[in-house]
Amino acid sequence: MNITFSEVTKTFEPDITALFDVSLNIEQGEFVYVVGQTGSGKSTLLRLITRELLPSAGTVAVGGYDLRRMRRADVPYYRRDVGLVAQDFKLIPSLTVYENIAFVMEAMSVPKRLVAERTKDVINQVGLWRRRSMRPAQLSGGEQQRVAIARALANSPSLFIADEPTGNLDFHTAAEVMKILFAINAAGVTIVMSTHNQSIVNASRKRVIELEGGKLIRDEKGGLYQA
Amino acid sequence: MTTLKYILRDTWRLIVHHWVLGLLTLITAGVMLWILGVTTLFSLNLENLLSRLESELVVQAYLVKDNTLNVEQVAQKIQSLEYVYAMKIYSPSDSLAKLQEKMGSQSRALEMLGENPIPYNFEIHVHKAEDVEHLVDELNAMPEVDDVVYAGLVVKRISALSRISSRVALVMFILSVIITALVVYNTIHISLYSRREEIGIMYLVGATRAYIATPFVLEGTLLSLLGAGIAAAGIIGAYFPGITMIQANLPFLRNSIITDKAVIFRFCALLAGFGATLGWVCSYIIVARFINSITKPD
Repeated sequence: MNITFSEVTKTFEPDITALFDVSLNIEQGEFVYVVGQTGSGKSTLLRLITRELLPSAGTVAVGGYDLRRMRRADVPYYRRDVGLVAQDFKLIPSLTVYENIAFVMEAMSVPKRLVAERTKDVINQVGLWRRRSMRPAQLSGGEQQRVAIARALANSPSLFIADEPTGNLDFHTAAEVMKILFAINAAGVTIVMSTHNQSIVNASRKRVIELEGGKLIRDEKGGLYQA
Repeated sequence: MTTLKYILRDTWRLIVHHWVLGLLTLITAGVMLWILGVTTLFSLNLENLLSRLESELVVQAYLVKDNTLNVEQVAQKIQSLEYVYAMKIYSPSDSLAKLQEKMGSQSRALEMLGENPIPYNFEIHVHKAEDVEHLVDELNAMPEVDDVVYAGLVVKRISALSRISSRVALVMFILSVIITALVVYNTIHISLYSRREEIGIMYLVGATRAYIATPFVLEGTLLSLLGAGIAAAGIIGAYFPGITMIQANLPFLRNSIITDKAVIFRFCALLAGFGATLGWVCSYIIVARFINSITKPD
Protein backbone atom coordinates (compact mmCIF):
# COMPACT_ATOMS: atom_id res chain seq x y z
CA MET A 1 0.00 0.00 0.00
CA ASN A 2 1.65 3.24 -1.07
CA ILE A 3 1.18 6.56 0.71
CA THR A 4 1.19 9.98 -0.91
CA PHE A 5 1.19 13.33 0.88
CA SER A 6 0.61 16.27 -1.47
CA GLU A 7 1.30 19.73 0.03
CA VAL A 8 -0.28 18.69 3.30
CA THR A 9 -0.79 21.27 6.01
CA LYS A 10 -2.46 20.51 9.32
CA THR A 11 -3.41 23.26 11.74
CA PHE A 12 -5.15 22.93 15.09
CA GLU A 13 -7.29 25.55 16.80
CA PRO A 14 -6.58 28.29 17.64
CA ASP A 15 -3.44 28.71 15.55
CA ILE A 16 -1.03 25.79 15.82
CA THR A 17 0.52 24.50 12.63
CA ALA A 18 1.52 20.88 13.24
CA LEU A 19 2.48 20.12 9.64
CA PHE A 20 3.25 22.58 6.89
CA ASP A 21 3.27 21.90 3.18
CA VAL A 22 4.52 18.32 3.44
CA SER A 23 4.81 16.29 0.25
CA LEU A 24 6.19 12.76 0.17
CA ASN A 25 5.61 9.37 -1.35
CA ILE A 26 6.11 5.99 0.34
CA GLU A 27 6.09 2.91 -1.87
CA GLN A 28 4.59 -0.49 -1.05
CA GLY A 29 7.00 -2.60 1.06
CA GLU A 30 9.18 0.31 2.25
CA PHE A 31 10.39 0.72 5.83
CA VAL A 32 10.38 4.38 6.78
CA TYR A 33 11.51 6.02 9.99
CA VAL A 34 9.94 9.37 10.87
CA VAL A 35 12.27 11.29 13.16
CA GLY A 36 12.31 14.72 14.77
CA GLN A 37 12.02 16.41 18.12
CA THR A 38 8.91 16.25 20.26
CA GLY A 39 6.28 18.50 18.69
CA SER A 40 7.86 18.33 15.24
CA GLY A 41 4.72 16.76 13.75
CA LYS A 42 5.61 13.03 13.68
CA SER A 43 2.43 11.82 15.37
CA THR A 44 0.30 14.20 13.31
CA LEU A 45 1.77 12.70 10.15
CA LEU A 46 0.96 9.16 11.32
CA ARG A 47 -2.53 10.12 12.49
CA LEU A 48 -3.23 11.61 9.07
CA ILE A 49 -2.40 8.22 7.57
CA THR A 50 -4.75 6.39 9.95
CA ARG A 51 -7.41 9.06 9.27
CA GLU A 52 -7.71 10.04 12.90
CA LEU A 53 -7.00 13.51 11.53
CA LEU A 54 -7.92 15.18 8.26
CA PRO A 55 -5.55 17.63 6.56
CA SER A 56 -6.39 21.33 6.69
CA ALA A 57 -4.94 21.67 3.19
CA GLY A 58 -3.50 19.28 0.63
CA THR A 59 -4.32 15.60 0.19
CA VAL A 60 -3.32 12.36 1.86
CA ALA A 61 -3.85 9.32 -0.34
CA VAL A 62 -3.30 5.73 0.80
CA GLY A 63 -3.50 2.90 -1.71
CA GLY A 64 -4.95 5.37 -4.19
CA TYR A 65 -7.75 6.54 -1.83
CA ASP A 66 -8.00 10.22 -0.96
CA LEU A 67 -8.64 9.88 2.76
CA ARG A 68 -10.55 13.16 2.99
CA ARG A 69 -13.10 11.88 0.47
CA MET A 70 -13.47 8.53 2.18
CA ARG A 71 -17.01 8.00 3.48
CA ARG A 72 -17.25 7.65 7.26
CA ALA A 73 -18.81 4.23 6.90
CA ASP A 74 -15.78 3.05 4.90
CA VAL A 75 -13.22 4.12 7.52
CA PRO A 76 -13.39 0.87 9.57
CA TYR A 77 -12.84 -1.20 6.41
CA TYR A 78 -9.80 0.93 5.51
CA ARG A 79 -8.40 0.61 9.03
CA ARG A 80 -8.64 -3.17 8.90
CA ASP A 81 -5.86 -2.99 6.31
CA VAL A 82 -3.74 -0.71 8.50
CA GLY A 83 -1.99 -2.23 11.51
CA LEU A 84 -1.51 0.35 14.23
CA VAL A 85 0.96 0.21 17.10
CA ALA A 86 0.85 3.19 19.42
CA GLN A 87 3.35 4.28 22.05
CA ASP A 88 0.67 3.92 24.73
CA PHE A 89 -0.26 0.47 23.29
CA LYS A 90 -4.00 1.25 23.10
CA LEU A 91 -5.03 -2.12 24.52
CA ILE A 92 -8.49 -2.65 26.02
CA PRO A 93 -7.84 -3.04 29.77
CA SER A 94 -10.87 -5.21 30.51
CA LEU A 95 -9.92 -7.85 27.91
CA THR A 96 -7.21 -10.50 28.10
CA VAL A 97 -4.29 -10.68 25.67
CA TYR A 98 -6.19 -13.27 23.64
CA GLU A 99 -9.43 -11.24 23.61
CA ASN A 100 -7.63 -8.01 22.68
CA ILE A 101 -6.29 -9.69 19.56
CA ALA A 102 -9.33 -11.80 18.73
CA PHE A 103 -11.56 -8.73 18.94
CA VAL A 104 -10.12 -7.24 15.74
CA MET A 105 -11.21 -10.29 13.77
CA GLU A 106 -14.52 -10.65 15.59
CA ALA A 107 -15.40 -7.11 14.51
CA MET A 108 -15.02 -8.41 10.95
CA SER A 109 -17.41 -11.31 11.67
CA VAL A 110 -14.67 -13.90 11.20
CA PRO A 111 -15.95 -17.29 12.45
CA LYS A 112 -14.79 -18.31 15.91
CA ARG A 113 -12.64 -21.23 14.73
CA LEU A 114 -10.65 -19.06 12.33
CA VAL A 115 -10.32 -16.35 14.96
CA ALA A 116 -8.88 -18.93 17.37
CA GLU A 117 -6.35 -20.17 14.79
CA ARG A 118 -5.18 -16.74 13.70
CA THR A 119 -5.02 -15.39 17.27
CA LYS A 120 -2.86 -18.33 18.31
CA ASP A 121 -0.61 -17.72 15.29
CA VAL A 122 0.03 -14.05 16.00
CA ILE A 123 0.43 -14.53 19.75
CA ASN A 124 3.05 -17.21 19.04
CA GLN A 125 4.70 -14.85 16.56
CA VAL A 126 5.32 -12.32 19.35
CA GLY A 127 6.13 -15.08 21.86
CA LEU A 128 3.31 -14.45 24.34
CA TRP A 129 1.20 -17.62 24.18
CA ARG A 130 1.80 -18.36 27.86
CA ARG A 131 0.53 -14.87 28.72
CA ARG A 132 -2.66 -15.13 26.63
CA SER A 133 -5.05 -15.15 29.60
CA MET A 134 -3.54 -12.12 31.30
CA ARG A 135 -4.93 -8.61 31.15
CA PRO A 136 -2.74 -5.73 29.91
CA ALA A 137 -2.17 -4.41 33.46
CA GLN A 138 -0.53 -7.73 34.39
CA LEU A 139 2.06 -7.43 31.61
CA SER A 140 5.32 -5.48 31.35
CA GLY A 141 5.62 -2.56 28.90
CA GLY A 142 7.49 -4.70 26.39
CA GLU A 143 4.89 -7.43 26.57
CA GLN A 144 2.09 -4.93 26.10
CA GLN A 145 3.87 -3.55 23.07
CA ARG A 146 4.15 -7.04 21.66
CA VAL A 147 0.43 -7.60 22.22
CA ALA A 148 -0.22 -4.37 20.32
CA ILE A 149 1.98 -5.66 17.48
CA ALA A 150 0.19 -9.00 17.48
CA ARG A 151 -3.17 -7.22 17.31
CA ALA A 152 -1.95 -5.07 14.42
CA LEU A 153 -0.83 -8.25 12.65
CA ALA A 154 -4.09 -10.09 13.16
CA ASN A 155 -5.76 -8.83 9.99
CA SER A 156 -2.58 -9.31 7.91
CA PRO A 157 -2.46 -5.60 7.03
CA SER A 158 -0.60 -4.19 4.05
CA LEU A 159 0.43 -1.10 5.99
CA PHE A 160 1.89 -0.94 9.50
CA ILE A 161 1.92 2.34 11.41
CA ALA A 162 4.04 2.40 14.56
CA ASP A 163 4.12 5.54 16.69
CA GLU A 164 7.25 5.32 18.85
CA PRO A 165 6.77 1.60 19.52
CA THR A 166 10.04 1.39 21.44
CA GLY A 167 9.55 4.64 23.36
CA ASN A 168 8.77 2.97 26.67
CA LEU A 169 11.03 -0.03 26.32
CA ASP A 170 14.53 -0.92 27.49
CA PHE A 171 17.26 -1.65 24.96
CA HIS A 172 16.78 -5.42 24.79
CA THR A 173 13.00 -5.32 24.59
CA ALA A 174 13.19 -2.58 21.96
CA ALA A 175 15.54 -4.78 19.93
CA GLU A 176 13.08 -7.67 20.16
CA VAL A 177 10.22 -5.47 18.98
CA MET A 178 12.31 -4.21 16.07
CA LYS A 179 13.15 -7.79 15.11
CA ILE A 180 9.42 -8.49 14.79
CA LEU A 181 8.88 -5.32 12.73
CA PHE A 182 11.72 -6.19 10.33
CA ALA A 183 10.22 -9.65 9.88
CA ILE A 184 6.85 -8.12 9.05
CA ASN A 185 8.49 -5.75 6.58
CA ALA A 186 10.36 -8.63 4.99
CA ALA A 187 6.94 -10.14 4.20
CA GLY A 188 6.18 -7.08 2.02
CA VAL A 189 4.26 -4.94 4.51
CA THR A 190 4.88 -1.18 4.34
CA ILE A 191 6.06 0.14 7.71
CA VAL A 192 6.04 3.76 8.81
CA MET A 193 7.52 4.17 12.27
CA SER A 194 8.16 7.31 14.27
CA THR A 195 10.99 7.11 16.78
CA HIS A 196 13.43 8.97 19.00
CA ASN A 197 15.70 5.93 19.24
CA GLN A 198 18.93 6.89 17.47
CA SER A 199 20.64 3.51 17.81
CA ILE A 200 17.76 1.67 16.15
CA VAL A 201 17.66 4.09 13.21
CA ASN A 202 21.42 4.12 12.83
CA ALA A 203 21.75 0.33 13.03
CA SER A 204 19.19 -0.48 10.34
CA ARG A 205 19.91 2.28 7.77
CA LYS A 206 16.41 2.51 6.29
CA ARG A 207 14.71 5.52 4.72
CA VAL A 208 14.55 8.44 7.17
CA ILE A 209 12.07 11.30 7.02
CA GLU A 210 12.93 14.14 9.36
CA LEU A 211 10.49 16.79 10.50
CA GLU A 212 11.19 20.06 12.24
CA GLY A 213 8.50 22.51 13.33
CA GLY A 214 6.01 20.69 11.09
CA LYS A 215 8.20 20.96 7.98
CA LEU A 216 9.84 18.11 6.11
CA ILE A 217 13.55 18.93 6.27
CA ARG A 218 15.09 15.60 5.19
CA ASP A 219 14.00 12.54 3.20
CA GLU A 220 17.00 10.22 2.86
CA LYS A 221 17.23 6.56 1.86
CA GLY A 222 19.58 4.53 4.06
CA GLY A 223 19.84 7.51 6.37
CA LEU A 224 21.04 8.03 9.92
CA TYR A 225 19.08 9.54 12.80
CA GLN A 226 20.91 12.82 12.32
CA ALA A 227 22.08 14.10 8.98
CA MET B 1 -25.05 -15.15 12.90
CA THR B 2 -21.39 -14.96 13.94
CA THR B 3 -21.66 -11.19 14.41
CA LEU B 4 -24.84 -11.61 16.43
CA LYS B 5 -23.09 -14.05 18.76
CA TYR B 6 -20.20 -11.63 19.26
CA ILE B 7 -22.59 -8.73 19.85
CA LEU B 8 -24.66 -10.71 22.38
CA ARG B 9 -21.48 -11.72 24.19
CA ASP B 10 -20.31 -8.07 24.30
CA THR B 11 -23.73 -7.00 25.59
CA TRP B 12 -23.45 -9.55 28.38
CA ARG B 13 -19.93 -8.28 29.15
CA LEU B 14 -21.25 -4.72 29.38
CA ILE B 15 -24.02 -5.69 31.77
CA VAL B 16 -21.68 -7.74 33.97
CA HIS B 17 -19.03 -5.02 33.91
CA HIS B 18 -21.51 -2.35 35.12
CA TRP B 19 -23.75 -4.64 37.16
CA VAL B 20 -24.28 -2.19 40.06
CA LEU B 21 -25.33 0.57 37.70
CA GLY B 22 -27.40 -1.92 35.74
CA LEU B 23 -29.16 -3.09 38.89
CA LEU B 24 -29.96 0.50 39.89
CA THR B 25 -31.35 1.18 36.43
CA LEU B 26 -33.38 -1.99 36.57
CA ILE B 27 -34.89 -1.06 39.94
CA THR B 28 -35.57 2.56 38.99
CA ALA B 29 -37.06 1.62 35.61
CA GLY B 30 -39.11 -1.09 37.35
CA VAL B 31 -40.47 1.31 39.99
CA MET B 32 -41.23 4.08 37.50
CA LEU B 33 -42.94 1.71 35.06
CA TRP B 34 -44.87 0.18 37.96
CA ILE B 35 -46.09 3.66 38.94
CA LEU B 36 -46.92 4.29 35.30
CA GLY B 37 -48.84 1.01 35.09
CA VAL B 38 -50.71 1.51 38.37
CA THR B 39 -51.62 5.09 37.47
CA THR B 40 -52.89 4.00 34.08
CA LEU B 41 -54.91 1.15 35.58
CA PHE B 42 -56.35 3.46 38.24
CA SER B 43 -57.23 5.95 35.55
CA LEU B 44 -58.85 3.24 33.38
CA ASN B 45 -60.92 2.03 36.33
CA LEU B 46 -61.96 5.57 37.23
CA GLU B 47 -62.88 6.16 33.61
CA ASN B 48 -64.94 2.96 33.72
CA LEU B 49 -66.71 4.09 36.88
CA LEU B 50 -67.37 7.57 35.51
CA SER B 51 -68.75 6.27 32.23
CA ARG B 52 -71.06 3.98 34.21
CA LEU B 53 -72.25 6.92 36.29
CA GLU B 54 -72.58 9.00 33.13
CA SER B 55 -74.68 6.32 31.48
CA GLU B 56 -76.98 6.45 34.48
CA LEU B 57 -77.38 10.22 34.35
CA VAL B 58 -80.91 11.17 33.31
CA VAL B 59 -82.41 14.46 32.17
CA GLN B 60 -86.17 14.62 32.59
CA ALA B 61 -87.95 17.01 30.21
CA TYR B 62 -91.62 17.87 30.95
CA LEU B 63 -93.75 19.23 28.14
CA VAL B 64 -96.29 22.02 28.47
CA LYS B 65 -99.85 20.86 29.12
CA ASP B 66 -101.43 21.40 25.76
CA ASN B 67 -103.82 18.96 24.14
CA THR B 68 -102.98 20.25 20.66
CA LEU B 69 -99.33 19.41 21.10
CA ASN B 70 -97.99 16.69 18.78
CA VAL B 71 -95.90 14.64 21.22
CA GLU B 72 -94.38 12.49 18.46
CA GLN B 73 -93.07 15.57 16.66
CA VAL B 74 -91.52 16.95 19.84
CA ALA B 75 -89.96 13.55 20.54
CA GLN B 76 -88.36 13.54 17.08
CA LYS B 77 -87.08 17.06 17.62
CA ILE B 78 -85.43 16.11 20.91
CA GLN B 79 -84.08 12.86 19.51
CA SER B 80 -82.31 14.79 16.78
CA LEU B 81 -80.28 16.82 19.30
CA GLU B 82 -76.60 15.80 19.13
CA TYR B 83 -76.17 15.16 22.85
CA VAL B 84 -79.02 12.64 23.12
CA TYR B 85 -77.87 9.05 23.48
CA ALA B 86 -81.22 7.40 24.32
CA MET B 87 -84.69 8.58 25.09
CA LYS B 88 -87.88 7.18 26.53
CA ILE B 89 -91.36 8.77 26.34
CA TYR B 90 -93.68 8.67 29.33
CA SER B 91 -97.36 9.51 28.93
CA PRO B 92 -99.15 11.24 31.86
CA SER B 93 -100.73 7.92 32.89
CA ASP B 94 -97.43 6.04 32.68
CA SER B 95 -95.78 8.72 34.78
CA LEU B 96 -98.49 8.59 37.38
CA ALA B 97 -98.28 4.81 37.59
CA LYS B 98 -94.54 5.05 38.00
CA LEU B 99 -94.91 7.63 40.74
CA GLN B 100 -97.49 5.52 42.54
CA GLU B 101 -95.20 2.54 42.39
CA LYS B 102 -92.38 4.61 43.83
CA MET B 103 -94.54 6.00 46.66
CA GLY B 104 -95.85 2.59 47.66
CA SER B 105 -98.37 2.76 50.52
CA GLN B 106 -98.39 6.57 50.43
CA SER B 107 -99.59 6.61 46.84
CA ARG B 108 -103.17 7.13 47.98
CA ALA B 109 -102.23 10.77 48.57
CA LEU B 110 -102.05 11.16 44.80
CA GLU B 111 -105.78 10.41 44.50
CA MET B 112 -106.45 13.64 46.37
CA LEU B 113 -105.05 15.59 43.43
CA GLY B 114 -108.01 14.64 41.32
CA GLU B 115 -106.84 15.26 37.74
CA ASN B 116 -103.44 13.80 36.81
CA PRO B 117 -101.08 16.84 36.98
CA ILE B 118 -98.16 15.15 35.23
CA PRO B 119 -97.68 16.12 31.55
CA TYR B 120 -95.98 14.09 28.82
CA ASN B 121 -92.31 13.80 29.66
CA PHE B 122 -89.08 12.35 28.30
CA GLU B 123 -86.35 10.49 30.11
CA ILE B 124 -83.16 11.38 28.20
CA HIS B 125 -79.73 9.74 28.49
CA VAL B 126 -76.61 11.56 27.30
CA HIS B 127 -73.25 10.36 25.95
CA LYS B 128 -71.13 12.20 28.53
CA ALA B 129 -71.79 14.06 31.77
CA GLU B 130 -70.42 17.26 30.26
CA ASP B 131 -73.16 17.10 27.58
CA VAL B 132 -75.92 17.53 30.15
CA GLU B 133 -75.57 21.30 30.55
CA HIS B 134 -75.69 21.83 26.78
CA LEU B 135 -78.70 19.57 26.43
CA VAL B 136 -80.54 21.34 29.25
CA ASP B 137 -79.88 24.72 27.59
CA GLU B 138 -81.29 23.46 24.29
CA LEU B 139 -84.33 21.87 25.97
CA ASN B 140 -85.07 25.06 27.91
CA ALA B 141 -85.01 27.01 24.66
CA MET B 142 -87.77 24.82 23.18
CA PRO B 143 -91.30 26.36 23.57
CA GLU B 144 -92.84 22.87 23.92
CA VAL B 145 -90.78 22.13 27.04
CA ASP B 146 -92.20 23.42 30.29
CA ASP B 147 -89.55 22.22 32.73
CA VAL B 148 -86.26 20.33 32.79
CA VAL B 149 -85.16 18.35 35.84
CA TYR B 150 -81.64 16.91 36.27
CA ALA B 151 -79.04 16.27 38.94
CA GLY B 152 -77.03 19.41 38.19
CA LEU B 153 -74.51 19.19 41.03
CA VAL B 154 -73.81 15.52 40.40
CA VAL B 155 -73.25 16.26 36.71
CA LYS B 156 -70.85 19.06 37.50
CA ARG B 157 -68.89 16.92 39.95
CA ILE B 158 -68.64 13.96 37.61
CA SER B 159 -67.50 16.20 34.77
CA ALA B 160 -64.89 17.85 36.99
CA LEU B 161 -63.69 14.49 38.33
CA SER B 162 -63.43 13.10 34.84
CA ARG B 163 -61.37 16.08 33.68
CA ILE B 164 -59.10 15.98 36.75
CA SER B 165 -58.53 12.23 36.49
CA SER B 166 -57.59 12.53 32.83
CA ARG B 167 -55.14 15.33 33.60
CA VAL B 168 -53.60 13.55 36.59
CA ALA B 169 -53.17 10.39 34.52
CA LEU B 170 -51.56 12.38 31.72
CA VAL B 171 -49.17 14.17 34.12
CA MET B 172 -48.24 10.89 35.82
CA PHE B 173 -47.71 9.27 32.44
CA ILE B 174 -45.43 12.05 31.22
CA LEU B 175 -43.50 12.16 34.54
CA SER B 176 -42.96 8.39 34.59
CA VAL B 177 -41.84 8.35 30.98
CA ILE B 178 -39.42 11.26 31.51
CA ILE B 179 -37.91 9.76 34.68
CA THR B 180 -37.54 6.28 33.14
CA ALA B 181 -36.06 7.77 29.97
CA LEU B 182 -33.60 9.91 31.96
CA VAL B 183 -32.46 6.97 34.10
CA VAL B 184 -31.86 4.72 31.07
CA TYR B 185 -30.22 7.61 29.18
CA ASN B 186 -27.84 8.33 32.08
CA THR B 187 -26.96 4.68 32.65
CA ILE B 188 -26.01 4.20 29.02
CA HIS B 189 -24.17 7.53 29.04
CA ILE B 190 -22.11 6.49 32.07
CA SER B 191 -21.53 3.08 30.50
CA LEU B 192 -20.33 4.75 27.30
CA TYR B 193 -18.28 7.37 29.09
CA SER B 194 -16.46 4.82 31.23
CA ARG B 195 -15.58 2.94 28.05
CA ARG B 196 -14.87 5.90 25.78
CA GLU B 197 -11.20 4.91 25.46
CA GLU B 198 -12.18 1.35 24.49
CA ILE B 199 -14.67 2.68 21.96
CA GLY B 200 -11.94 4.84 20.42
CA ILE B 201 -9.59 1.84 20.24
CA MET B 202 -12.29 -0.39 18.74
CA TYR B 203 -12.95 2.16 16.01
CA LEU B 204 -9.23 2.61 15.41
CA VAL B 205 -8.66 -1.10 14.82
CA GLY B 206 -11.52 -1.44 12.36
CA ALA B 207 -14.77 -2.07 14.25
CA THR B 208 -17.76 -0.43 12.55
CA ARG B 209 -19.86 2.07 14.47
CA ALA B 210 -22.83 -0.30 14.33
CA TYR B 211 -20.74 -3.13 15.81
CA ILE B 212 -19.58 -0.86 18.65
CA ALA B 213 -23.00 0.69 19.26
CA THR B 214 -25.26 -2.36 19.20
CA PRO B 215 -24.20 -3.87 22.57
CA PHE B 216 -24.83 -0.52 24.30
CA VAL B 217 -28.26 -0.16 22.68
CA LEU B 218 -29.08 -3.76 23.60
CA GLU B 219 -27.94 -3.12 27.18
CA GLY B 220 -30.37 -0.17 27.52
CA THR B 221 -33.20 -2.04 25.84
CA LEU B 222 -32.66 -5.17 27.93
CA LEU B 223 -32.49 -3.26 31.23
CA SER B 224 -35.71 -1.39 30.38
CA LEU B 225 -37.44 -4.60 29.29
CA LEU B 226 -36.43 -6.35 32.51
CA GLY B 227 -37.53 -3.28 34.49
CA ALA B 228 -40.88 -3.38 32.69
CA GLY B 229 -41.10 -7.12 33.42
CA ILE B 230 -40.58 -6.46 37.12
CA ALA B 231 -43.19 -3.68 36.95
CA ALA B 232 -45.66 -6.01 35.20
CA ALA B 233 -45.11 -8.74 37.80
CA GLY B 234 -45.61 -6.14 40.55
CA ILE B 235 -48.84 -4.92 38.97
CA ILE B 236 -50.26 -8.43 38.60
CA GLY B 237 -49.18 -9.23 42.16
CA ALA B 238 -50.86 -6.13 43.59
CA TYR B 239 -53.87 -5.63 41.32
CA PHE B 240 -55.87 -8.81 41.83
CA PRO B 241 -55.62 -8.90 45.65
CA GLY B 242 -56.39 -5.15 45.56
CA ILE B 243 -59.61 -5.52 43.57
CA THR B 244 -60.73 -8.47 45.70
CA MET B 245 -60.39 -6.24 48.76
CA ILE B 246 -62.22 -3.32 47.08
CA GLN B 247 -65.05 -5.56 45.92
CA ALA B 248 -65.45 -6.94 49.44
CA ASN B 249 -65.53 -3.53 51.13
CA LEU B 250 -67.16 -1.38 48.44
CA PRO B 251 -69.70 -3.67 46.72
CA PHE B 252 -71.28 -0.78 44.74
CA LEU B 253 -68.05 -0.57 42.75
CA ARG B 254 -68.21 -4.23 41.76
CA ASN B 255 -69.36 -3.61 38.18
CA SER B 256 -67.08 -0.65 37.61
CA ILE B 257 -63.73 -2.37 38.15
CA ILE B 258 -61.76 -4.13 35.41
CA THR B 259 -61.55 -7.74 36.57
CA ASP B 260 -60.88 -9.55 33.31
CA LYS B 261 -57.49 -11.27 33.73
CA ALA B 262 -56.89 -11.33 29.97
CA VAL B 263 -57.24 -7.54 29.85
CA ILE B 264 -54.74 -7.07 32.69
CA PHE B 265 -52.24 -9.51 31.17
CA ARG B 266 -52.54 -7.77 27.81
CA PHE B 267 -52.03 -4.45 29.57
CA CYS B 268 -48.85 -5.78 31.25
CA ALA B 269 -47.53 -7.11 27.94
CA LEU B 270 -48.13 -3.66 26.47
CA LEU B 271 -46.28 -2.08 29.40
CA ALA B 272 -43.30 -4.41 28.85
CA GLY B 273 -43.27 -3.53 25.15
CA PHE B 274 -43.50 0.14 26.00
CA GLY B 275 -40.60 -0.15 28.49
CA ALA B 276 -38.40 -1.94 25.95
CA THR B 277 -39.21 0.61 23.24
CA LEU B 278 -38.49 3.49 25.60
CA GLY B 279 -35.13 1.92 26.54
CA TRP B 280 -34.28 1.30 22.90
CA VAL B 281 -35.08 4.86 21.83
CA CYS B 282 -33.10 6.44 24.72
CA SER B 283 -30.11 4.15 24.25
CA TYR B 284 -30.10 4.65 20.50
CA ILE B 285 -30.11 8.44 20.82
CA ILE B 286 -27.28 8.63 23.35
CA VAL B 287 -25.15 5.92 21.69
CA ALA B 288 -25.49 7.50 18.24
CA ARG B 289 -24.55 10.93 19.60
CA PHE B 290 -21.65 9.66 21.70
CA ILE B 291 -20.11 7.43 19.05
CA ASN B 292 -20.50 10.14 16.42
CA SER B 293 -18.59 12.59 18.59
CA ILE B 294 -15.85 10.13 19.54
CA THR B 295 -15.22 8.82 16.01
CA LYS B 296 -15.24 12.17 14.25
CA PRO B 297 -11.76 12.95 12.83
CA ASP B 298 -10.23 16.28 13.97
